[in-house]
Amino acid sequence: MTGPYYGSSGGQPPYGPYGPYGPRPPYGPYGPRPPGPPYPGRPPYGPGPYGPPQPPYGQPPYGYRPAPPPVRFSEGTHRLHPVTAILRAFTILVVYFVLLGFPLLLTQTEEGIALILSPEVIARFLIVSVPFFVLAVVAGLWGWLALRFHVDGDEDDLVVETGLLRKRKRRIPLSRVQAIDVVRPLMTRMFALAEVRVELAGGAQSEISLRYLGRHAAQQLRAELLARAAGLPGHTPEAPERPIWRVPFGALLGSLVLKLPVLGTGLLFVFSLIFLFSFLEGGMLVVLVLTLLGLIRGVIAPLVMYANFTVAMSPDGVRLRYGLLETRMQTLPPGRVQAVGLVQPLLWRAFGWVRMDVTVAGYAGERQALSSVLLPLAPRHVAVYLTSQIFPGANVDAVPLLPASSRAASAARGDGAGTDDVIFVVRRGLFCRRTDVIAHARAQSVRLTMNPLQRLLKRATVHVDAPPGPVQVSAAGRDLGEARAIVESTAGRALAARRTSGDPGRWAAR
Amino acid sequence: MNAGHEQQPPQPGPYPGPHHGAQPPQPGMQPHLAPPADPVPGAHAAPMQASPYPADQAFEPGGGLPWSHISRRFTWHRGLMATLTGVPVGLIGAFVVFRGVGTIGMVLWGATVLLGVVVAWIVAELAYRSYGYAERTDDLIVTQGVFVKRLIVVPYGRMQFVDVTAGLLERWMGIATVRMHTAAAATDAEIPGLPAAEAAQLRDRLAQKGEERSMGL
Repeated sequence: MTGPYYGSSGGQPPYGPYGPYGPRPPYGPYGPRPPGPPYPGRPPYGPGPYGPPQPPYGQPPYGYRPAPPPVRFSEGTHRLHPVTAILRAFTILVVYFVLLGFPLLLTQTEEGIALILSPEVIARFLIVSVPFFVLAVVAGLWGWLALRFHVDGDEDDLVVETGLLRKRKRRIPLSRVQAIDVVRPLMTRMFALAEVRVELAGGAQSEISLRYLGRHAAQQLRAELLARAAGLPGHTPEAPERPIWRVPFGALLGSLVLKLPVLGTGLLFVFSLIFLFSFLEGGMLVVLVLTLLGLIRGVIAPLVMYANFTVAMSPDGVRLRYGLLETRMQTLPPGRVQAVGLVQPLLWRAFGWVRMDVTVAGYAGERQALSSVLLPLAPRHVAVYLTSQIFPGANVDAVPLLPASSRAASAARGDGAGTDDVIFVVRRGLFCRRTDVIAHARAQSVRLTMNPLQRLLKRATVHVDAPPGPVQVSAAGRDLGEARAIVESTAGRALAARRTSGDPGRWAAR
Repeated sequence: MNAGHEQQPPQPGPYPGPHHGAQPPQPGMQPHLAPPADPVPGAHAAPMQASPYPADQAFEPGGGLPWSHISRRFTWHRGLMATLTGVPVGLIGAFVVFRGVGTIGMVLWGATVLLGVVVAWIVAELAYRSYGYAERTDDLIVTQGVFVKRLIVVPYGRMQFVDVTAGLLERWMGIATVRMHTAAAATDAEIPGLPAAEAAQLRDRLAQKGEERSMGL
């Protein structure tokens, strides 16, 4: 045993902590052992100087507390964090106070409405408020008591039960999980709470949202769900991750500003401001407000949302972390990304910047807009590398893109489509250039369409269908015969890719 | 009915041209599905024009398979639906127009509605001719569309579910619509106007083939 006070680098120190001539500590492993049987009359490791192992350093400094003991979600039933009940009651009370409570405190006088805290007013307020307070507390407690969940270890299901009187049980097969998010809205960050969202590929109502769990519990639950979805035992620790890219704040801000629509809106904003003050033209106020709203939507909102964006790869898939006020941690397991799009607005091309959009089957409706960005800004080679990580064996830049035939109505020179054994790539767009990539293994169906204009020109469009999302892959303006050849070859490659890749579930057990 | 896949004469050509050698063909691939080996260097100068598919064959099932056509009753159903909508619209509209404008307006209205119904019948006939489907070895191929012509290739393994629906009039006429659903909403493959028994058989066959080849998402 080496000296815990001096670290364990040097093996057995030649002398004790007080130096070779200092007093020997009453107990302790330092120095030569006294002759004779060690510590007679005592069990060697019983209670005593060596007793049960204790942290020798006293309380660790703030922020370095060891993680609480792991929660086993597969044993027993679990509830949300108790603070959830308080939060819910508090929310109800705030709504009550704004809508009903505060008006009760006001009295109608001759001069108008005034806030006079006379005893009768307070009595009136209390008579209504106290029952409401009790009601809110009961509602909060009820909601907290009603939701129970656990992980069914035999079936690999997440089981969520709701209701105290009318019970409803929902089993979520973990092999169907499309993504797992840990979301921490600003309010709950103060209480170290987090929401766990499990996305399934079933449309708008199919996501499971557990709000709120403790921060550590949320991460453990995510780790356990991912481990089980991967086909590993539930107590497997969270897989290690390899950071790929972190978006610097300044570059993100610059990229959001350096877009033609944003620059135009900003210019309009400045002009309307000048007009407003130089001519005092009231109508300009409308333009001002509209452009301001546009700027908030185009610059401020994405900036707040995607600040501190980091992307990492792990055996559990792509991990995203982002958000300034509301932080999100997304995990997209392998094989769950359906299609990606590399978007390059005109001005970004000078810097080689790319935004990556992504289609994941789980996110539907409103959440799709929240989760459509895989990477808000990165150099192109990073985006290409990330694509190759998402679709193993794919190299977007190595796929030869063939332009549509010259007679077609496509104006951009860079337009083209191409495929290899892994991915189908389409590049299009004159100003804002998009490169849409779908893996053959993920293609749902292949379509050939020909509208009346194309019929005149003997052209057709090939669509490789992905689930609904921001990336839809279609190659327009191809020669009719060529288009059909693309359809056939894509269908064949998709079949071959599906045969080799198999079901994306239980990715670690394969 | 799936016999012809192996002797399919116009095999898809070397799209998109030579591979760059970075991705060797994957080992588990079926020989007839593997994309052709690298053509001679420089052959990709005009790769697309040398496509083996003649343009007039682009909307054919390929492989010598014939299109299975839908029932003639489909036209009747579409036309009857148009007529059944047209008659009340024509009568009520004619009455309103007669009260408001006069006889000339009424006649014009009637003529317009009649024209609309006739066009609907013609479109129904064209739609009937445009529909076709073929069950190939690994996928179902459907063509449809009067104005926008479509050809949809749905792999059996990608079908999430197949449903058969029939409205009141369709049931009376003994036809039904088979609809194939994949995870992509854009795959709106449907075969209307199938005789009810054939629709049920097709659904069962598709469900069985889908089960055999199911791949998750």
